[in-house]
Amino acid sequence: MREYLRYALTIALKDLAIEWRTKTAFASGLAFAILVLAVLFFSRDPTAVASRDIAPGALWVTFTFAAMLGLNRAFFLESEERALDAVLLTGIPRSAIFWGKFLGNLAFVGAIEAVSLPLFVLFYDIVVWPYLPSLVLVIAMATVAFVAIGTILSAMVVRTRYAELMLPLLLLPFLVPPLVGGVQLTARLLDGRPLSDYLGWLRLIGAFDLAFVTLAAVLFGVVLDE
Amino acid sequence: MMTMDRAERMARVGGAITLLALVGVIGVYVRALAFTPVERFQGLAQKIYYVHVPNAWAALLAFVVTGLLSILYLWLKDRRIDLAAAASAEVGMAFAVVMMTTGPIWGKPIWGTWWTWDARLTSTLFLFLLFVGYLVLRGVMTDPGVRGRFCAVIGIMALVLVPFIHMTVYLFRTLHPQPILLKPSAPSLPGAMLVTLLTSIFVFTVLYVGFTTQRYALAVMRELRAEEAANAA
Amino acid sequence: MPPDNGGYMVAAYIITAVVALGYAVSLFVRIRAAKRR
Repeated sequence: MREYLRYALTIALKDLAIEWRTKTAFASGLAFAILVLAVLFFSRDPTAVASRDIAPGALWVTFTFAAMLGLNRAFFLESEERALDAVLLTGIPRSAIFWGKFLGNLAFVGAIEAVSLPLFVLFYDIVVWPYLPSLVLVIAMATVAFVAIGTILSAMVVRTRYAELMLPLLLLPFLVPPLVGGVQLTARLLDGRPLSDYLGWLRLIGAFDLAFVTLAAVLFGVVLDE
Repeated sequence: MMTMDRAERMARVGGAITLLALVGVIGVYVRALAFTPVERFQGLAQKIYYVHVPNAWAALLAFVVTGLLSILYLWLKDRRIDLAAAASAEVGMAFAVVMMTTGPIWGKPIWGTWWTWDARLTSTLFLFLLFVGYLVLRGVMTDPGVRGRFCAVIGIMALVLVPFIHMTVYLFRTLHPQPILLKPSAPSLPGAMLVTLLTSIFVFTVLYVGFTTQRYALAVMRELRAEEAANAA
Repeated sequence: MPPDNGGYMVAAYIITAVVALGYAVSLFVRIRAAKRR
């Protein structure tokens, strides 16, 4: 068991180390997040729509797109020079590879979200401090879903001809439940309502996480089979 | 064992079922249009129900079949199961197209709006999009083994997704009550109308079976031709 | 008096028939093409 965890962590750290050296994906993800937040801010009638009203949607659209950028990158790392074959040859169990990829992607997307959130607060003039723990919980739960599904899907599309197009096409339908849940819960939190009022949404995202993390972990081996 | 003879026979059987079902469709058309009473408050547009509902049902059936066959394929690894799953997906797409076009055409006169984001419509929209995703993925992959596995993964994930989408929209609606729909979504139909609807559902289900059998046979035939060509080369 | 919305019904029934027949024809044609040769 300890070995298994070590394998997974090694893979996660390897991916993060590669990213750390160049930081290109992180920088692009960040720039992208700023752009999306800005464009959504300006694409409304300021006399009719308060920034507070579009804030939750803007935040989550930003997270979604930034997550997709990060996920695309994750497997392109391996498609160069057939590095994935090398990883497979090490004999590390495939499920450990999944958890490693998953953790690495989670860290990457989490980092972008962690930086985007203060920017969001700044640009949209929002107060989140009182509800920060609840907000972080909601963001974490939805992000787990994004990343689990994104990890297995990006492993698949990297082998196809139109990967950049296929990933959003396949991924976005699966993001609807956590995304809608995330937006709804964020909106309620910003209104000052306690999370306990919205157990239905929390349960939905929680059940979704459970179902799809399990499914992704189980099916990942199928995707890597040669 | 896939042989050309077997595949051709299957195509013929499927073709016969399809033709039978198409005759049935004509029968349903006649019955619905000429021999079923007009609904007093909704008018003729209510009769769209008799084609919309069966096609939606067939699309959902096709979707579930693809999902279940995907699980079976990953378990048994028989290439024929993959071909069957893909056949069901393409056929399901055809029914989904009818569903997504007749739906709004029915909605406009009955509900007053072309579209509404209620649980059922949204779920069916995503059903349609998932069919598209499945078929596009299938289209861009060339290696049959890899293609089969990847499509199976999508098929299974899609199957698990749809109930969640339904639940999501349901939760959304209870938080944001929408204007009352003019007609209930599952009206209790009086006798003659119910018979027409049930007959139509039956006929379109048979059509699904015929189409899928033919499409599967076609896939097998194409595989065999490709193998022949590869061996000859 | 029921509302006059027969046009919608006609449109829906035509679309259904076109797609059903169209797909059926495409299947028969493709099968025949795969048989020949």
